[in-house]
Amino acid sequence: MKLLFDRIDQPNLNRLDTYRERGGYESLRRALAMSPDEVVAEIDASGLRGRGGAGFQMGKKASFIPKGDMDKYLVCNADESEPGTFKDRELMQKNPHQLIEGMGIAAHATGCNRAFVYIRGEYDYVADILEASLREAQEAGLLEHVILVVHRGAGAYICGEETALLDSLEGKRGNPRLKPPFPANQGLYQGPTLINNVETLSTVPHIIRMGGSEYAKLGTETSTGTKIVSVSGHVQRPGNYEIELGMSSRDIIFGLAGGPPEGRRVKLWFPGGSSSPVLTEEHLDLAYDFDSMAQAGSMLGSGSIIVVDDTTPVLDVAKWVAKFYTHESCGKCTPCREGTAWTLAMVERMDRGEATPMDLEIMSGVQEQIIGHCLCVLGDSMAMPIASMVKHFREELEEHIETARARREGLPVGDAPVPPEQVAV
Amino acid sequence: MTGTESGAFGVPRFAHGSRVPGWDRAADLEKDPEEVPDPATTPVPAELRAEIEEYMSRYPRVRSASIPALRAAQRHHGWCSPEAIEQVACVMRMTPAALTEVATFYDMTETEPRPPHHDVFVCTNISCSLRGAAEVYDAVCAAAEGEADIHARSFECLGACDIAPMASVDGVYVGPLEPADAATIVDDLRAGRPVLEDKQLARRPVADEEARA
Amino acid sequence: MPRPEQRFVTLTIDGREVEAPENSMLVDGAKYGDVEIPVFCYEPKLGPPVGACRMCLVEVEGIPKLQTACSTPVKDGMVVHTQTERVKSAQESVVEFLLINHPLDCPVCDKGGECPLQDVSYGWGGGKSRFIEPKRHFRKPLELSPLVAIDRERCILCYRCVRYSQEVAEDHQLVLQERGNHSYVSTFDGHPYVAPFSGNIVELCPVGALTSRVYRFRARPWDVEDAGSVCTLCPAQCNITFTVRDDRALRVLSRDNPDVDDGWLCDKGRFGYQAIHADERVVSPMVREGGSLRPVSWERALSEAASALARARGRVGALAGDGATNEEGWLVSRLLREALESGDLDSRLAGGPSRETARTLAAPGLAATVPDVEFAHSVLVLDCEPVDDMPILDLRIRKGVRRQGVRLAVATSRPSSLDRNAEVSVRYAPGAGEAFVAALDAALAGEADDSLATAAGADPQGIRDLAQMLRAQDVVVVWGERLTGGPRGDQAGRALLNVAARLGLSGDGSGLLEVPASANGRGLCEAGFLPDAGPGWSEVVAAGEGSAGPRDAAGIARALADGELSALYLLRTDPLRTHPDRPTWQAGLERANAVIAHASVLTEGLREHATVVFPAESYAEKEGTVTHPDGRVQRLRPAIGRPGDVRAEWQVIGDLAKRLGLDLDFPLASDVSAALFEAVPFYSGLSLVELAAHGVRWPEREAASALDAPVPEPGQLETPPNAPSPNGALRLGTFRPIWSAPEVEVSPALRFLTPRARVELSPQDAQRLGVAQGATVEVAHDETVVTAEVALRSDVPPGSAFLPEAEGGAALTHGEPRLVEVRPA
Repeated sequence: MKLLFDRIDQPNLNRLDTYRERGGYESLRRALAMSPDEVVAEIDASGLRGRGGAGFQMGKKASFIPKGDMDKYLVCNADESEPGTFKDRELMQKNPHQLIEGMGIAAHATGCNRAFVYIRGEYDYVADILEASLREAQEAGLLEHVILVVHRGAGAYICGEETALLDSLEGKRGNPRLKPPFPANQGLYQGPTLINNVETLSTVPHIIRMGGSEYAKLGTETSTGTKIVSVSGHVQRPGNYEIELGMSSRDIIFGLAGGPPEGRRVKLWFPGGSSSPVLTEEHLDLAYDFDSMAQAGSMLGSGSIIVVDDTTPVLDVAKWVAKFYTHESCGKCTPCREGTAWTLAMVERMDRGEATPMDLEIMSGVQEQIIGHCLCVLGDSMAMPIASMVKHFREELEEHIETARARREGLPVGDAPVPPEQVAV
Repeated sequence: MTGTESGAFGVPRFAHGSRVPGWDRAADLEKDPEEVPDPATTPVPAELRAEIEEYMSRYPRVRSASIPALRAAQRHHGWCSPEAIEQVACVMRMTPAALTEVATFYDMTETEPRPPHHDVFVCTNISCSLRGAAEVYDAVCAAAEGEADIHARSFECLGACDIAPMASVDGVYVGPLEPADAATIVDDLRAGRPVLEDKQLARRPVADEEARA
Repeated sequence: MPRPEQRFVTLTIDGREVEAPENSMLVDGAKYGDVEIPVFCYEPKLGPPVGACRMCLVEVEGIPKLQTACSTPVKDGMVVHTQTERVKSAQESVVEFLLINHPLDCPVCDKGGECPLQDVSYGWGGGKSRFIEPKRHFRKPLELSPLVAIDRERCILCYRCVRYSQEVAEDHQLVLQERGNHSYVSTFDGHPYVAPFSGNIVELCPVGALTSRVYRFRARPWDVEDAGSVCTLCPAQCNITFTVRDDRALRVLSRDNPDVDDGWLCDKGRFGYQAIHADERVVSPMVREGGSLRPVSWERALSEAASALARARGRVGALAGDGATNEEGWLVSRLLREALESGDLDSRLAGGPSRETARTLAAPGLAATVPDVEFAHSVLVLDCEPVDDMPILDLRIRKGVRRQGVRLAVATSRPSSLDRNAEVSVRYAPGAGEAFVAALDAALAGEADDSLATAAGADPQGIRDLAQMLRAQDVVVVWGERLTGGPRGDQAGRALLNVAARLGLSGDGSGLLEVPASANGRGLCEAGFLPDAGPGWSEVVAAGEGSAGPRDAAGIARALADGELSALYLLRTDPLRTHPDRPTWQAGLERANAVIAHASVLTEGLREHATVVFPAESYAEKEGTVTHPDGRVQRLRPAIGRPGDVRAEWQVIGDLAKRLGLDLDFPLASDVSAALFEAVPFYSGLSLVELAAHGVRWPEREAASALDAPVPEPGQLETPPNAPSPNGALRLGTFRPIWSAPEVEVSPALRFLTPRARVELSPQDAQRLGVAQGATVEVAHDETVVTAEVALRSDVPPGSAFLPEAEGGAALTHGEPRLVEVRPA
């Protein structure tokens, strides 16, 4: 079943006439004939959960937007920066009108008179395509109920966090804000604001076309619909795949993406981008949906599977993760700012052979000190996968540390460490 | 201690990595405090002013235009120089400091002197690193060595893990790369050709075979 | 605007039932139950909480995650735990994180002993660290400005200072640069952080990252004592605490009084204390001998002064100004009127409205308070520049606009720093304040005639917009003494009363707030230091032999120059520094036989012309009272002893009076205050005890009824004169920059701020005149020529030029609008 990816490579799909020939903007026309409440009800009935990472029901979120004539804002989060995630890029590059139509419907549903697409600065070429398509739609008179502007960022992962995105869109540093107040009440310019991911909004035209309850029949009961899954890392056919939620993870990784190269095994995999706690080979038969991933101690997140095979040391993975989140921490809150950098320093020290297995205790202690204590989720995004790596791969990490230390100190690699009772006091 | 001396564990003591010139220098007490630049004393190139004003007109509140305006100034000046920031501040009626804090926050706004140049961002994040980004990055750095107008830097995830390891060359995504591609990238830039035409992401079909038309 | 009413809710904190004000944050609410929750970034004065430092994490039953107490409002029935293992471990974590990159150089840190980071680490930290990586290093300490040093290694990135710069001072100069672990506090391109209120960041910093360069390494907290008093360097009269060591004032901190200063200080107030111990300080009596002033004994100085004054009996004028207390003003006015048979005394710079108009303007029925500025529906700033004239009020106005949605209008000649916050800004020709107010009155009355606007050189539509905007419930008009100075001061005052009547100002949330030109301008007027009014605006019978009746400041200058007056008594003022029409004052001082001055620094006029100088107390040494522009009587308390031969002014005046046959002898300073309180009817019954720490607003006391001056119905106004038409010349406006003060010149730390003679021109006029930014020009009126540097400002209206008063402006003005010629030098 292809919805978002239906004939996505059709030539000139980014052109208005091509898109309309295949029925594009029919859903917008239908939605505009409905009352806003009816549109929200339809979205609500679809059970559509946000595709950006948090998985919050879009219908609920839309219903939080207060009624009234005040300025209200719709913001599309196209700051796709979670390592391993590249679905929004393909959606916007190849079928920009699908997103524009979805935004038109969402704006009508919530009474938002201004809308923005916050697209990451690195996606300049995608933004060019999106802007051209937007112009076509505006010139064709399809978006008279809302002023839609494409806003380009300038490179900061944190702006994918919705409140940081709002600050950035207001022209400030992308620092997350305290919640509450939530954006639905006080968002952009302190006005009511609905923020949704590209994939979420791109799904909306399909919901209106099919009807919410029809859409809800796809996927599982609590994870309805289809989802674009980005698969990368050690697989033979990396790329985006549209699946029905609930498909087995093994079928995605091995069936669609071809699994690791010949002769290698899956060592660990991130089910929802680099911020999700890692899973192992034993989790491969879990259904790929929001709840199953949560039950396994991880999360579906943005739906990005990164596969790591047995040729890569876990410590390397930890280092890449720690380095990324240290670089991307905005610096506003203490545990994230200090904790990410501290973790990175520890991981690098372990790799250099200047650590002992005891440092793993400190490292997991630091992760515990970060988790749940930060202003936004970025700190947790590093701490949770790192903590999960220590949990699942402690033996390998200890061995790595000892080996690196032995190498550094010129000891024969592989020597057993001195048992504690023999250490001279 | 001087900036080059090393501390414990061989880590340079002042390896702060700041991109702002003067992070380790005191304020210059000879300078006047910097307020909102007065148009009477701050000339702004007409086309830059027009571009910034156009951005300002897009938003209900003009400050929202600060990122697009800084990027425009960067295209004009090669980097977000103090002069560039002052010009943006003058048009937007903000203090240069309020723009500096924005310019230094984001990865794509350059706050170190740099002439107009080609950007080669090599992704070294997890998915690319799993497929050999380190070697590609080393090769690109080696190929760009001595080319003053090519700025190679490692970058966090650029959102194209399907073509890992990859790079963004002046905004054009190319991959999967091999170390040997580095020289071609430099040659193509030198010759003014499209970069690695057969490896450009824009030409790649979707991986999901059932989605192909 | 109605101020929020306070209700209390009941919640449980650590098993204790606590009643706390509704909507207060848990951090504050917990204090009602004597529970302290540690914070770093939380500071309600900086606006809504940001929740950045995460120090205040607590457990709230029913919420799974720990919550930041700084951002969680108290609710009825809420159950909070601050002592559980989970909370303790979270708090220990945050302390550990904060300390990993902190240098822990407490032994050499100025903040040591008064450092919140030390206190919180001690109280809530785990007492250990597992961090063995290299710390983050910055070069240190660095200069952030001539006044503030920054140590970025100590910084815990709590955001207070940058939020202050952006949300309170709104100068947007101090920002964070870079991101994450690399973030640091800085300015644009190495420019120093120099702004009128920059020093507040030192007091806000919860660690030793921002320190006063003046106070660095001067003392440890256990070496010093605190002494509360009031700053009298400007009319804002902020409440301060002197840090005293070995009888020297080493530092000034804010003594938060929400009714006066909201806990902020300007840099003049914060660093100007250096003048107390400056080398330039006059510490012994002096008498002019052989053309120059020489130190002499008190006996000699008093007898010289007494005999000179006795000789000039009936022909003595007196001025009082900055820093003079109510008591001193009252004593000198009695000395003049009772012993010297002279009524020629003025504490205003250029005269003012008649007694009748002035007392109506000052009556309780029209008096707005400082907090009213924050809670009014709209505020009109009229003919003053708060940041220069009463700095701390500038912050209050900004706060009202930013946090309470106050609608702000600005009506001035010179572009105002508040223009950016204002909904309506109207410009009028320099000196045309009267015509402007008359035009506003007409617009409020619905008259469609634009001739008054034209007379004021203002945009008629702008005035109509302003009138429209002011038709709100509570309006506060903040107006400058400049408006009612000069020969037409009474007409301007009556125009203002018309406006007050039309706006229905009531003194109850709405009203007038006059910004006087000198620090205790209101108090000196109320004490009777005026030509036509005695204590409490009482009627006075003209003393002396002068046929023209009592003279105001401008009259005194002319009479001295004409020889009608032969002696001048200066109570802490120098007309050559502060008063308009410098040429006449110069002539008057030259001709005067005797100039008797109380002064702590010899400014130009005194150095050249004083015949006897009494060394004056500084505000850190003084006892007495001053009256805030909103009627708050505040008490000065001595923090340190008087240096050298300095004696209390009230005693000196008493000694002098005795020699002139008048008994002004009081045993104690408090006795003078008591006598003053009885002399001024509406101060009646006040006592120093009642003034306590934060003063008392007399308009709120029962005795206020003694000043019964209801606002008259709007009356017909005289037609004001037209502002002169430039015709190729420029209309000259003057202003007094915040830094134009002797205290700035003699304080080593502030000296760099001393204003220069810079003439502000519009780019159009500069182009026409062929002068560029920074060029040296001559500004001329008739024979008088002032040399100045060109400063281009796009928002200066073409046809006008502005020059600082003491730096050239006063030489070219005489209280009436004037045209000047500007030409390349």
